[in-house]
Parts: sequence; structure tokens; C-alpha cells
Amino acid sequence: MMKKTVNPPVLLGTAFLLFFSLWPLTGVGTDLHCRVLGFAFYYGALALAWNLLALTGVISLGHAAFFGLGAYGSALLDHYWKLSPCITILAGGGLGTVYGILWHLVFKKLRGAPFALATLASVEVPKILIDNWDGLTLGSRGITGISDLPSLQWAGLSVLLGRDPRALYYLFFALMLTVGWVHRRAFRSRWGWAIRSIREDETAAASLGVNVVRTRFQALLLSAFFTALCGAIYPHLLGLVEPPLVFSLHLSALPLVLSIFGGRHQPYGPILGALVLYPLDQLLFHSLLPVGHDAVYGLVVILTLLFFPQGIGAWLQTRLRSA
Amino acid sequence: MWLQLALNAFTLGSFYALIALGFSLIFGITRAFNLAHGEMVLLGGYLAYVLGTYWQVPFFWTLPACMLTLLLLAVLLQALLQHVREPFELNSLVVTFGLALVLQNGMLVLFSANHRLIRNAEAAWSLPSLHLTLTQLQAWLIALSLLATFLVSILLRKTFLGKALRATIQDREAARLAGIPVERMSVIAFAVGGILIGLAGPLYGSTAYLHPWGGMEATLIAVVITIFAGVGRIRGVLLGGWALGLAESLAVVFLGTSWRELVSALVLIILLILRPEGLLRVSYGPVR
Repeated sequence: MMKKTVNPPVLLGTAFLLFFSLWPLTGVGTDLHCRVLGFAFYYGALALAWNLLALTGVISLGHAAFFGLGAYGSALLDHYWKLSPCITILAGGGLGTVYGILWHLVFKKLRGAPFALATLASVEVPKILIDNWDGLTLGSRGITGISDLPSLQWAGLSVLLGRDPRALYYLFFALMLTVGWVHRRAFRSRWGWAIRSIREDETAAASLGVNVVRTRFQALLLSAFFTALCGAIYPHLLGLVEPPLVFSLHLSALPLVLSIFGGRHQPYGPILGALVLYPLDQLLFHSLLPVGHDAVYGLVVILTLLFFPQGIGAWLQTRLRSA
Repeated sequence: MWLQLALNAFTLGSFYALIALGFSLIFGITRAFNLAHGEMVLLGGYLAYVLGTYWQVPFFWTLPACMLTLLLLAVLLQALLQHVREPFELNSLVVTFGLALVLQNGMLVLFSANHRLIRNAEAAWSLPSLHLTLTQLQAWLIALSLLATFLVSILLRKTFLGKALRATIQDREAARLAGIPVERMSVIAFAVGGILIGLAGPLYGSTAYLHPWGGMEATLIAVVITIFAGVGRIRGVLLGGWALGLAESLAVVFLGTSWRELVSALVLIILLILRPEGLLRVSYGPVR
């Protein structure tokens, strides 16, 4: 069965890569489309990062903690020392990873619903600390005037990475492919087998010689790092950051919804979810319902769990195979 | 001043117990984590606000209206959750998380992001010799919260239905084998839970500002107290409510208002670490 399914995915994957890397150059579609697709890649990366942890069998409701810490890490370095965005973004990713280590130490024994609840509560801790530490973080007023992403200079051409929609598109495409590659490793490698064995049965995995604690820790760290990395880019895009913006329930929910909708157990599931749902939300629901369009994500996750518990990715796959 | 603080903490704690009671019943009997609990409380609050502001319904009469509406909503939610597949606990958590998003944004559309407060008469009784003041609202909060808790405890301990409910809390499968219609018990749990949520809503709206994003905090409070108390333990819920009310009041006095929200989150994390299995395993002792 493995042999038979190898070819079509490779074909599909190549077609996907070619289509999306060439699409902006064709001139079809407006700047708006380019921007929306770019952000779909961005949220796809976020969903993939979330799923790295979810693959070990736990559901996190608190990834906004990593996102927010990444955002504040990069925003503070930019605000006080005006470091280059490349450094601030990596440092933001690092700060999120540190919180990931803390999660590992504190939530080591939790699984299932207790883990989900603990992660939900753990967003409040950095949020309220930052909200109240006026001296360092400017508190609830937030930080403004954060510098743009740098401009790229190549062969006499200069492109503002943060302003040009096409440059942003490729940046986020590369980001998503990077996280997507790691996510794929979590399926197609020895490490991936270890992760899946943990998801199915921890005790059995441990008795087969899988280092459960270490594998889980690695998945959590990667998940935290990439989420925080995405978060660290965020203030450079907006030019500002404030606690309710980056520690929001929306940011904890979005990767979960996209992954569950696309299919949590497929290497490409979260990408599929992001590419279908985010443009739909931005181009269709946003114009229909300007304020409360987030409700759509809630509705989608309810409907998915009721009718396609494995996500539309798995559903499509069985459809294609039986056809 | 300390006496006043104690009184305020007692009021807050009794109210927290009321918020937690519905959650605890629903979770105990159906094993469904209702993460939309806080949003449902807020919805009740908004409903009372609208009734009171636009139709001049007296506050007292908004209570039955909210209780009825939330009862219907809770029973609908139960019907929805019946179709959730295994693993039920985690999936019900995700479904109600989605529902929380839907309700939040629905309230944002309907009621806007402005802060709303249900205004009540400011009558108060005071004891100048002790520097103690009890507002009418506080008296309502204490009376209604304790009354609701008392009634639920009577329902669970003194009636035949209560016996069946307690059996379901202790062991679902054994209860089913003993001939208890477990599915009907689930509907009853959601109905009673809905009534309690509907009672808590208008009271919430008159003690704190209503805001579409405020629900998660109420949910966290309910979860904290439920874990502290153990499933379906009414006295534990009351104790937990008072302890949390006291902790929050002390945090406000010593650290300032903005640190209050941290208390329930930290207590939740600490409780989960100390008793990671305490949430799911029901001790086989009598349910008090």
C-alpha cells in the first residue's frame, strides 16, 4: 500500500510547489490576493508548528503564549537597542523556546484535558506580567514605532521586505516550507515513528525503547520555537505590539482550527487547512461580517469534529483512493 | 477594613461557587468540559442587560427569563455533544472551545465591544461601629448563590433523582448497568446547569462589566473550583469559591487590581500539577 501511494503525493507536491512559487510572477491576481495568500502561508506555518506538538497526542489551547513572548522578545530588543530584525526575530524565537522549556518542566505529567486546561491558563501568566511591568514593557500601552523588516538589495534592485506584497509572499512561503519540512520529518523519519508510537500508547512506546520524555520534549521545543518565530515577525509587520493583541485567544485557536480542519494526521493537513480556510475567511466572510468573522473558525471546528473528525485531508484522501 | 474585606471576599466567593456549580454538575455527570461556560454566563448577563435597558424589565424578572433561555441553550448543547466521537473528553473540549469562539464573536456583533453594566439601586445597610457596609447587590449575590447551592444539594442528596445523578457521577457504566438511563441524566445535568448559568449571568452583569472577551476568565474560575472540589461535591464547591474569592481579594489589596486575573490562572496550574489525575478520577467515597 505504501508503494502505491508514493507517486501521486510526489506529483501533487511538485505541482503545489511549482504553482505557488510561480503564481505571483504570472501577474494573475491583485496585490490583495497576494497578501492574503502570503498570510495564509504565515498562518499555515503557525498551524504546522502547533501540530508538531499535537502529533504527540496532546492538544494545546495556549500557543498564544509562545506567539506573544516571541512578539515581545523581538519588539523589546528593537525598542531598546534597535538591533537588526534578523537578530530580534531569532531572539524572540529563543524567548518562546525558553517558555517551552518551562512548559516541559511544569506540565511534564499532564495529558489530555488537564494538559489543555493548563496550557489555556498558562497564557495568562506572561500576559499579565507584561501588562503590569510598565518599566520594562510599557505595560498595556504597548510598544509602538517598531522598525520594518529590512530591505533586500540584489543586483541593483531593492525590495522592501515588509511592504512589498510579493516579497512578503515569498518570505512566508519559505517560512511555511521550512516548518513544513520539519513537520514532514515528524512523519517520515525514525523520529516520526517515535512520535506516533507515543501518541498511540506511551507505555508501549517506552517498552520498545523510545525515549518518551526526550521525544516529547523535542516536539514541544520545535513547536514553541517556530510559533515564537512567527510571533516575532508580527510586530515588525504591524509596527506595534500590545498584550491583548498577541496573547489573544484568537491566536491560540487559529492554528488548532486550521490543523483540525485540514487533518491533524496528514503531513500536509495544516497547510491544506490554512490555504482553504484563511483566504475564505479574509475574502468572503470578512466582507460579509466585518466584526465577528472569527465566529466562522469556531463553527468550522465544531462541524469538522462532528462530521470529519479526521479532517478534510483524510476525507479527500479516502475519496481519491476509492475513485 | 479587614472585616469589610472578609465580607467582600465572602460575597465574591459565594458568587464564584454559583458560577462553578453548573460547570461542576455538567462535567461530573456527562464528562463534558464546557469551555463555553463563561461565554454562556456572559450571554445571560447581556440578555438581562438588554431586557432591563430596552424593555425596562425589573431586575428580578430578568432572572427567570435568563434561566429559561440558558436552559434551552444548554439542552441544545447537550444534543450537539451527543454526536461527538471518542476520545470524548478531549473532543468535547475542542468543540466547546469552538462554541466559545462563536459565542464571543456573536456577542461582539450583537452587543459591540463596549463595556456594559447592569445598574441596580444603590441601597446599602451599614454598621458604622464596625466600618461595615453591605450593599443590596451583595445581599442578593449571597442570598441567591447560597439558595441555589442549597437547592442543588437537596436535589442531589434527598431525592431519588439525585441518587441516580450521584450514581452517574461515580461510575457511568455501573449506573447504566443498574438501569439508570444515563443519557437522560445527561440531559438533566445540562438543564440544571443551564438554569444555574442563567441565574449567574444577570448577577455577573451587575457585579462586573460585561465584555465579549470576558468569558474565558469565568470559565477558568469554574474549572479551578471544580478541580479543587472534586467532581460533584457541593460543599467543596462552596469552600473552593470562598478560598478563591479570598485569594483574589487579598491579591487586589496587596498587589493591585490588575493582578487579580493572574490568581485563578496560577491556582489552576498549581492544582493541575499537584493532582494531575484528581480531575478525572472520582474517589469512590460518598458524594457529599
